[in-house]
Amino acid sequence: MRHVVMAEMVGSVFEVVAGAGDVVEPTDTLVILESMKMEIPVLAEVSGVVAEMTVIKGDVVNEGDSIAVIAGS
Amino acid sequence: MAAWMPSPAAEPAAAATRPRPDKKDDPRNPIKRLNTFFDDGTLELITAEDSSGMLCGVGLVRGIQVVAFASDASIQGGAMGRAGCEAVLVAYERALADNVPIVGIWHSGGARLAEGVVSLHAVGEVFAVMTRASGKIPQISIVIGAAAGGAAYGPALTDIVILGPDGRVFVTGPDVVRSVTGENVDALRLGGPEPHGRRSGVVHVVTETTEAAYERGQLLCSLLGDQGTLDVGAVQDRDLAATFPESARRAYDVHPLVTDLLDDAKQNVELHPRWAPNITTTLGRFGGRTVGVVANNPMRLGGCLDSTSAEKAARFVRMCDAFGVPLIVLVDVPGYLPGVGQEWDGVVRRGAKLLHAFAEASVPRITLVTRKAYGGAYLAMNSRSLGATRVFAWPTATVAVMGAVAAVRILHRRHLAEVAEEDRTQMENELAAEHEVLSGGLQRAIEIDVVDEIVEPERTRSAMAAAIVAAPERRGNHGNIPL
Repeated sequence: MRHVVMAEMVGSVFEVVAGAGDVVEPTDTLVILESMKMEIPVLAEVSGVVAEMTVIKGDVVNEGDSIAVIAGS
Repeated sequence: MAAWMPSPAAEPAAAATRPRPDKKDDPRNPIKRLNTFFDDGTLELITAEDSSGMLCGVGLVRGIQVVAFASDASIQGGAMGRAGCEAVLVAYERALADNVPIVGIWHSGGARLAEGVVSLHAVGEVFAVMTRASGKIPQISIVIGAAAGGAAYGPALTDIVILGPDGRVFVTGPDVVRSVTGENVDALRLGGPEPHGRRSGVVHVVTETTEAAYERGQLLCSLLGDQGTLDVGAVQDRDLAATFPESARRAYDVHPLVTDLLDDAKQNVELHPRWAPNITTTLGRFGGRTVGVVANNPMRLGGCLDSTSAEKAARFVRMCDAFGVPLIVLVDVPGYLPGVGQEWDGVVRRGAKLLHAFAEASVPRITLVTRKAYGGAYLAMNSRSLGATRVFAWPTATVAVMGAVAAVRILHRRHLAEVAEEDRTQMENELAAEHEVLSGGLQRAIEIDVVDEIVEPERTRSAMAAAIVAAPERRGNHGNIPL
C-alpha cells in the first residue's frame, strides 16, 4: 500500500531529513517545512519504507502537495 | 390489516437467514446496555420495558447519580415514535429536577415512518427539551449503532458525542444518497468514525471498542458531574518546559505539555483530537478539580488559529463556562492562518466566536504564554483585554503585534528598499533588535498589566493553582449551542 504524505500548509522546504529507502515509523520526521516563521516537522504518519521523496530543499509547497511516498508495511 | 403482515410462507425463510435472538440474550437489548453503563446493580428503570423503542433509567456512574436512556434497536431498528420520545422527555425531566448529567445511548434509524408526522413532532419535542437543558445539566451521547435522521440530531444537540466503532451518524443514509444524487457511498464512509472524527467535527470522541465508548462516557460524567475541589497542596511542581525543543522556531507537539500540566493522563479526555488538531481541547483534573485546557499545537499548521480551530475552541470554552469548569489556556501562536481559503471559509465570522466565547466566560480562566503570542491570535487566546483572570508568561516568551523582523519590513519598507540587497538581512536584524527594545515585548506587556507575572516553568503549576483558587467560583448562565 502506498501512502502519500502531503503538505498541510504552504511553506518552503527547510531541510530534507529522510531519504528513499529509509525505514520509518509514524512519528519519524521526513522534512522540516518553514512556514509562519517556524520550522515545522512533517511526519511519516505511517510505518513503512520511503519509496520516494518528492521535494528537495528550497522547494515551495502548497497545501495538499506531495512531500513523500511511503510504501506501507 | 393483513396487508402489512408477513405471509406465513415468508416467515420461516426470513427466520432462517436471520434468526431472531431471544430478547434477553440480544446484545441490542437496552436493559443490557444501561446495565453495562451504570455501576453494577445501581440501575433503576424510570420507564416501562415495552415496545416504545426507548428505555430510561437512573443509577450511579462512578458513584454519582446519572440519568440515561437507551434506544431499543431490537424493535424497528430503534426508530423513535411518540411513545419512545415521551420516554426521553421523562428522562430529561428527571435529570433536570435532580440536576444531574444525562446520557443517551443511541442506536436508532430515526423517526418511526409508520407514525408519520406524529413521530416527527415527537422527535422535535426531544430536540426542544435538549435545548432547554443545554448549559444546565451535562448531556453526553454515546452512539454505538446507527443514529440517522432525527437520531443524528439528538446527539448533535448534546454537549459531547462519543462514537463507538459501529456508530454511524448521518442525516440521510446511503440508500437515499444513492437514489437522490447517484453518489455511491457506504454507511462507514458517509458517517463512520473517520469522517466524523477528522472531517466534520460532529463527534468529539472516537473509540476503538464499544466498551471504551461506555468508559469514556463514564469518565465524562465524573469530570462534568463530580468536579471536585482544587487542593493547592496536591499540586506538585514539575518542569513543564522539559519537553520543549531548544530552538524557539522549532515546532513541537503540545500533548506532552498538557499531560504534564494535568494530574493524571488516565483522567484526561481530549475532545476533537483529530479535527482541527492545530488547537487541543482537553478535560482533565488539576489538583483534583476538573479543568478545561485549551492549547495551540505548533506541530499542526504551526499552531496557527484558523476558522475550524477557533470554532472548536469556542464551543469548548462555552461548554466549560456553562458547567463552571475553570479554563487553562496554553498560548504559543504565530497568528491567524493567512490565505484566500481561510478568508472565504469565514475566518472572520468563525474566529469571532472564540473572541465572544472568552469575553463572555465567567469561570476562572488562566492564560500562560509559553513562547509567543502574536497579533489577533494573541487577543483570541484569552488575553487580558478579553477578561483573563490571570496572565502568566514564561521568561523567554514574546508578546507582540507581529514578529520583529516582519514588523520592521513594514515600518521601514522604504529605507530597506534603498539598502543594497547583500546588506539587507543585516539591516533588518539591526532594526528588529531596535524595534524589540522600543516596542517593549514582554517587559512592556508587564508594565501595562496585560501580562501579570513572569513565571518559571518549574513553578507554573503551583502559580496556576493559586490563581484558580483565588478566583471566585462562577459559571456562565447560557446554553451550549453546538457552534
